[in-house]
Amino acid sequence: MQVDATVAPDVGAAAALRADWGALARRARWKRAAGQSGLLGFLLVVSVPIILPYFWMVVISFTARSGGVSTQVLWTACAVIVPAVLLYSVVHLLAPSPRVRVVAALLLLVTVGALLAALVGGQLHLANYRFLWRTNIIEEIRSKATAGGQFPSVWTAFFNSLALALSQTAIILTVASLAGYYISRFAFRGREAFLQGMLVLHAFPAMTLIIPIFLILHWVGLLDTIAGVILVLATIELPFYVFVLKGFFDAVPWDIEMSAMTDGATRRQAFRMVVLPQVRAGLIAVAVFAFIRAWEEYIFVRTLLIENRNWVMSLYLFWVSDDIMGVDYGIVAAVSVFYVVPSLLLYVFCQKYLTQMTIGGIRG
Amino acid sequence: MPDFARAQLRRQRANFALFLGPALLLLACFFIAPAIVDLVLAFTDMDRTLAITTLTLDNFSRMATRDTRLLGALGITAIFVLSTLTIFNVTFALLLALVTTAVPRGMGAFFRAVWLLPRMSPSVVYALLWLWVVDPNERGLLNQILVHVLGMAPLDLRNDHPLLVIILANGFIGASLGMIIFTSAIRSIPEHLFHAARADGAGPLAIVRHIVFPALRWPISYMTIHQTLSLLVSFEYILLITGGGPFYDTTVFSLYAYRRAFENGQYAYGAALSLILIVIGVIAALVLWRLMDMRRLLQVPRIEVH
Repeated sequence: MQVDATVAPDVGAAAALRADWGALARRARWKRAAGQSGLLGFLLVVSVPIILPYFWMVVISFTARSGGVSTQVLWTACAVIVPAVLLYSVVHLLAPSPRVRVVAALLLLVTVGALLAALVGGQLHLANYRFLWRTNIIEEIRSKATAGGQFPSVWTAFFNSLALALSQTAIILTVASLAGYYISRFAFRGREAFLQGMLVLHAFPAMTLIIPIFLILHWVGLLDTIAGVILVLATIELPFYVFVLKGFFDAVPWDIEMSAMTDGATRRQAFRMVVLPQVRAGLIAVAVFAFIRAWEEYIFVRTLLIENRNWVMSLYLFWVSDDIMGVDYGIVAAVSVFYVVPSLLLYVFCQKYLTQMTIGGIRG
Repeated sequence: MPDFARAQLRRQRANFALFLGPALLLLACFFIAPAIVDLVLAFTDMDRTLAITTLTLDNFSRMATRDTRLLGALGITAIFVLSTLTIFNVTFALLLALVTTAVPRGMGAFFRAVWLLPRMSPSVVYALLWLWVVDPNERGLLNQILVHVLGMAPLDLRNDHPLLVIILANGFIGASLGMIIFTSAIRSIPEHLFHAARADGAGPLAIVRHIVFPALRWPISYMTIHQTLSLLVSFEYILLITGGGPFYDTTVFSLYAYRRAFENGQYAYGAALSLILIVIGVIAALVLWRLMDMRRLLQVPRIEVH
């Protein structure tokens, strides 16, 4: 009897407490959802100035006709896409189950696609991309008298850019992996001084050396050659990549090399056949990063390359925009899209490698 | 024994040449040599004929006394570097890092990728987009919004507020690097610290103040110096967007040196101006070097077999 009397109020209190917990949890969930949507809303708003211009560039390249540019397509597309994104965000926040999310995303995608096709589909065309096969397009637009012979084919610039970026990447991969391995694994006299010197060079801005580099290339006869630019670009970024690769080599356990050498491999064989495969991720990251950097380079190529047969994509785009910006937005936008796509594809598909690069305890 | 020792020494030298030789050669030719050339050039009178006739201190006396444009360039540089750095490269980068780590992982990664877009896309394309956004006639993206949505008169930002345009253009790029570095610094804070703080009743702001900020002290000082230096010497976007103009209104110091050399053909004077930047660069590089994790970087390797 005594026991019951004391237990009964406890059960009541526990029940009250349970109800309270439920309400608290609900409130916390709502508060969390509200906070999260606030943060996401903030990100969405501050990202608009970045997303919108890129989107516009793509839209112009597929819609603009000679003479002017109309933003009507852009705003129509935005009017369709923005509500869809907002709708999906609501679904994403309210429905935690992945299946509902996928179904909602698919439904929205189909709707957006259908709406866009109906509203702006008729205005899409590929005429702005005709610079890809009509290689003297600028002359056609500007007349031979003003632009005759000034512009090389876009493919000249494209293959120059490709040659520049690929050879620079190959040089960096070879030289930086050799040096990175050596300073990671070997003890040699002056190692500390060498490392410190490399660190200073790594932080040192090479852009300040552009005048003497121009003169040195002029003196040795490499001015206005792609080879000269390749060597310069490979060198000024070299200290950075050496340290990135050193970090990757540092992470390889030395027992692996030790056992390879116990099995009779020389140091160089161990490096080539045992250690290099271990840092594959690092090599890919460095290669992608170096390629993107060389692909986008402007100041050095502008200063060191003159003749239009040596133009790379950045110079081609610059002069195209300089020449026909007011006349034909569409072609300028199409050249931009053509130029930007390779580096964006690389960036998107190799992102997981790029995020692994670290230097001096600081990821970059 | 001497034979063995000699063989080992030879192998050591061969390894040194094989592994470090290429890097040393490239750095000597295109990094060290240019620095020395610049140092010499600053004391000459090289002009567009590319001939050196005398050694002179004239470049420095011109800088100190006769160059009226230099002072303006320095002022513009100060405004440009300080505002871009404080508003975007540090504060906004920090904000982005904090917010993108607070939202679900996938979303955070998506928005970080968006903010990296300007850095990953070629500079000419990025500059072109800015030209389209601030286009003075009503076709410009900004003016479309101003005129049709807000009913304002169209603006010509590139002509009237060129400094603002280049600060924004550089800031949008600059914010991404800080964002990445701060994000990984936040990620490397042990998860249990957040749980403990929350269990002790800390709100989100208290967590940021007492757990996140202390962990970001080193990355922030590193980023501040690194970005000051890179803003000080880089003029790529300025050259592409405003060309340093109108007139000299956005010609920062580094662009001023570039224009003097490659527009006016005063290579020696440009080299002398660059020399100042080189000295600043070396000092900043030394400071940065103190901020890095020295002990780990200089750790003596464990394998001594050659």
